[in-house]
Amino acid sequence: MLIVECHELGRRFGAAVAVEGLSFSVAEGELFAFLGPNGAGKTTTLHMLTTMLEPTSGWARVAGFDVVRQAPAVRESIGVVFQEPALDERLNARENLEIHAVLYGLRGPRLKEAIAQALEWASLAEVAHRPVRTFSGGMKRRLELARALMHTPKILFLDEPTLGLDPQGRRHLWERIATLRGQGLTVFMTTHYLQEAEACDRVGIIDQGHLIALDTPAALKLKVLGKAEGSLEEVFLELTGRKLRDEEARPRDRLLGFARRGGEHTR
Amino acid sequence: MSTLASPTRTFSLEPAVVWAMWRRELLRYARDRSQIFGGFSRTVLWLIILGFGLGASFRDIEGYTYAQYIFPGVITLNILFAALQSAVALVWDREVGLLREVLVSPAPMLSVALGKLLGGASVAVIQGSIPLLFAPLIGVSLSLSSLLLAWGVMALLGLSVTGFGVVLASRMATFEGFGSISNGVIQPLYFLSGSIFPLKGIIGGVGFLDLPDALRRQLELLGIHTIGGGWVVQLPVWLQVLVYANPVTYFLDLLRAVSLRYQQLPMAADLAVVAIAPLLTTLLATLAMSRMRRR
Repeated sequence: MLIVECHELGRRFGAAVAVEGLSFSVAEGELFAFLGPNGAGKTTTLHMLTTMLEPTSGWARVAGFDVVRQAPAVRESIGVVFQEPALDERLNARENLEIHAVLYGLRGPRLKEAIAQALEWASLAEVAHRPVRTFSGGMKRRLELARALMHTPKILFLDEPTLGLDPQGRRHLWERIATLRGQGLTVFMTTHYLQEAEACDRVGIIDQGHLIALDTPAALKLKVLGKAEGSLEEVFLELTGRKLRDEEARPRDRLLGFARRGGEHTR
Repeated sequence: MSTLASPTRTFSLEPAVVWAMWRRELLRYARDRSQIFGGFSRTVLWLIILGFGLGASFRDIEGYTYAQYIFPGVITLNILFAALQSAVALVWDREVGLLREVLVSPAPMLSVALGKLLGGASVAVIQGSIPLLFAPLIGVSLSLSSLLLAWGVMALLGLSVTGFGVVLASRMATFEGFGSISNGVIQPLYFLSGSIFPLKGIIGGVGFLDLPDALRRQLELLGIHTIGGGWVVQLPVWLQVLVYANPVTYFLDLLRAVSLRYQQLPMAADLAVVAIAPLLTTLLATLAMSRMRRR
């Protein structure tokens, strides 16, 4: 069964094209990665699939539901971890999980059970009472991942899940993602770490808003480099070129910068 | 395994969601000492320092000391700060905070918005109650009934300002400090609400205690109306227009009526604004938050 289907999916911001003519599908149980340089349209696509952004052309279905017309049904079927932590830093881990459980309709004993399980899964039971602002980047990510699984979604969307983590944290998180895949959960992630993409079932390479290649890592190497050995990095550079991708800071980036510096009341 | 089934629930009311969002606002407030400190420092500066400082120059305003006169104004100022601070938090909450997680969830936005508004209003009432602690210092004694009425008006003001702030925040792309909100929104609403100067009434200035009748008539010819020991306030027309156009004016007037039994505007006008404003802003804020889901 196909859990994600896109047809000619596109998004414009005014005159600027962020993503265009995206057609692909993801099968149930797949570990699927979108690989691309900064500003390629990875996050825009993920936002459209998770109902956070409306497409300006084409359509997409997630878990069998249209992302525009049946957005609430899509939201119930997915778990999402965004690139920037979406936690309340003044609340503790348990309070953050409680809000999530309530938002997804868990009540009473099922709510308590789901919170206990999530804390256990994230190995954060001992620090559940500590405000999230005191957590390391890795702990926050674990908490967010556990939270996204609380309502047993059919598919998990991860936007650059290991960004900003140290190698240990990255490895740890990656092992957890691999466990989920073993349990048959579909995982759709974006990344620009090539080793991570290497471990996925299929990889879509996206650049300047267009999907330029989509296949298993082995098939990509064979197709692009003409040999089975070699690295995905070579494939990536071959397809996307070696030009540096500099972007102008958008209002959102300025806000993120302000928040990272610990701007007033943002924590 | 989700218990939510119906697909169109944007406007449905889920008490648990309202409660969770309300509780979040209160927990955030309880853990922010700088906000609580701000409430106390504003009260001391405006009510005590300015109240007694300027009060030394004015004998009274319609029989009230200056500190007593600005007492409801200081309550209003604390409510404006707390409500707008809570509302404007949405701007970063959407990008780097919990709101993003709320937007991607299937929770009905009406319930989320109501929780946010009631949370902002509750924090505003708590912050607005700080000046009440100083009431004995300025010779204001509040009966239980006037206290309850005051809290009612404060809650409706908090709800209205939070709602207004949410609409404002939903249109802001970036945020790099509370200063622009403070200078651009809070202070105009505060200064143009009859908080620190009366709209009309009789002011007694030191030295005008016993004006001879002859001199009073001469002053009248010059357009200065003096009655008893003071003179009649006459604001310039442009200032009157600004003050009467500010909805906060009517909340503040009603708050002054219930706390000091001193009212400068018709009761009907006060009640109309105080009844309509919270409904209107709640509706607009809910719509604005529903639109945040899609960009």
